[in-house]
Amino acid sequence: MRGRDVVLDGVEIVYPNGFRAVEATDLRVEAGEFFSILGPSGCGKTTILRAVSGFVEPSAGRVLIGGENQAGRAPHLRPTALIFQSLALFPLMSVRDNVAFGLEARGVPRAERRRRAEELLELVALSDQAGKKPGELSGGQRQRVAIARALAVEPAVLLLDEPLSALDLKLRSHMRAELRAIQKQTGVTFIYITHDQGEALTMSDRIAVMDRGRIEQVGTGDEIYSAPLTAFAASFVGEANILPGRIAEAGGGEASIDTDLGRFVGRNPRGLRRGDAGLLFVRPEAMRLGPADNALEGTLARRDLEGPFVTYVFRAGGREVTMHLANTGAAPVPGAGAQPLGFAARDAVILPEGPLAKTGRELAA
Amino acid sequence: MTAGRVLNLYTAAFMMFMFAPLLLMIVSSFNDVSPPSVTDWRGFTTKWYTFFWDAPETLRADPVLRALDRPRLFACTRNSLQVAAVVVPLALLLGLAGAVFLTRWRSRLNGLLWWILLSPMLAPGIVLGLSALVFWGRLGVDAGLFTVMMAQLTFVAGYPMLMLMARLQRQPVELEEAALDLGATPARVFARITLPFLAPALLSSGVIAFLASMENYNTTMFARGPACTLATEIGAMARNPNGHPPVINAMGTVIILMTVVAATAHSLLARREAGRA
Repeated sequence: MRGRDVVLDGVEIVYPNGFRAVEATDLRVEAGEFFSILGPSGCGKTTILRAVSGFVEPSAGRVLIGGENQAGRAPHLRPTALIFQSLALFPLMSVRDNVAFGLEARGVPRAERRRRAEELLELVALSDQAGKKPGELSGGQRQRVAIARALAVEPAVLLLDEPLSALDLKLRSHMRAELRAIQKQTGVTFIYITHDQGEALTMSDRIAVMDRGRIEQVGTGDEIYSAPLTAFAASFVGEANILPGRIAEAGGGEASIDTDLGRFVGRNPRGLRRGDAGLLFVRPEAMRLGPADNALEGTLARRDLEGPFVTYVFRAGGREVTMHLANTGAAPVPGAGAQPLGFAARDAVILPEGPLAKTGRELAA
Repeated sequence: MTAGRVLNLYTAAFMMFMFAPLLLMIVSSFNDVSPPSVTDWRGFTTKWYTFFWDAPETLRADPVLRALDRPRLFACTRNSLQVAAVVVPLALLLGLAGAVFLTRWRSRLNGLLWWILLSPMLAPGIVLGLSALVFWGRLGVDAGLFTVMMAQLTFVAGYPMLMLMARLQRQPVELEEAALDLGATPARVFARITLPFLAPALLSSGVIAFLASMENYNTTMFARGPACTLATEIGAMARNPNGHPPVINAMGTVIILMTVVAATAHSLLARREAGRA
């Protein structure tokens, strides 16, 4: 199996009722890449997936797979396989027949498709379940049947629509590792749709963060998490302390911003200029006890034990500031009363104002 | 009196109302008197049943049975089966097409189409029979079994359509999309995914369509011309000036027995299937 690249060239999708599900989008997914599209529900990510698989025709623009324009090609003529959120296993067929279905549709002889099905069931460690009906399997097993069934047609691109969302937490993290391993083993291009940042960050080579039909940022997990480029990306992925303000000075990739907690310095990747409105983002794990490049003062309001780390919530000038500290003996513990807090300039990022993700702590409020 | 007792009384009265006539029919089918009665008991007999296979001499010896035209009754029954043999498969095909169309190809005209397809079920049977007669008459087809089939088909097709629609609405569209995505042509998707899923509903709607065709009287009556079916022949026998012969009661009893057996078998099968899933 060989993955192929997928290119969205100005793809725009408007539903018959006038709803613009996807704004004009350019996107390039490399061959053999594990690519995630991360966004809240209703952001248009599933619509993009359906446009690549052929269930939706773009209103404008082209979908290219391996350089070939897919316009007007029905789903069964495209080198893609789609794994549905519901998995859509055929309930009346055995697991083996489910996996062999794509080969049957291609007219592969019975003995050959049986052999291929057994091979794939071995790949997903389900050889002993081949004769059962999907209804007799556990959630994780059904998941693996869906993967084997999709891989059976040797797609160049595998499209996955939140396939792990029905599983419990433990199984989900196990399946993440398994999906990643299968992707590396087969070399197929994976496009993975999810609203779960943990899934996107752990599995993907690259991630596209999407909101309201628009791709906000494309990058590796590290880039998205540590160097977000939009207010939405910064607030949707991970937690952040968010302080609105106005740029006081800018230059050399950094800027200082006046907020109601004081003036702070941070990175300025979008080149904001003096006088512009901006938002300062600082991850809770970047906050320190004691002053750093940036200093403020806060009073401890709450301590939440999370397990591997502790969340401290400070009151500072009518706002809440959150700090994560490691839960080890060597870690400092905040005392009572007002105390100095700080964060490094390289750990803070100043971005233009824009819509924020609705999830997470609303610190700006 | 508590509400519970009123309800119980009502249920009992309702059951009585439904089953007492059937009970009387069954009892009178074993009474040696014509017209049938349960009050005027003249002794136990099975001759209303053996009528169907007794030797002609035996029948000629009986004052009541002598007046009945057994060969004609058999011929009419054969006609009924012939009509059903054409109506049931066609009704399943039409019902299936209508059900797939209404559930899978959604359009603004669906609501209107639904009413058009189902209106024959609501229209008076007489109207259906007469309109079939007029329509086919204009085309030069005389009233007979063919017009009966066509007239019945217009409303019998509604039963499979409703039952198959209900079933299709329970099958997620994603199953069909998944099959398409795996490379199956729409025809294969239908044959391998949709049809197997519909099989139980096809079977039960086939049985319903068969019963609807066999027992239909009013539409058939108007479309039949000189031809007869079991239902119209029973109707003719019941209008006998000497009162209707208990042979009809015997037939009714056998039909009830068959219905009970079929219903029991169906629920046993359904339970087994439910237990397996």
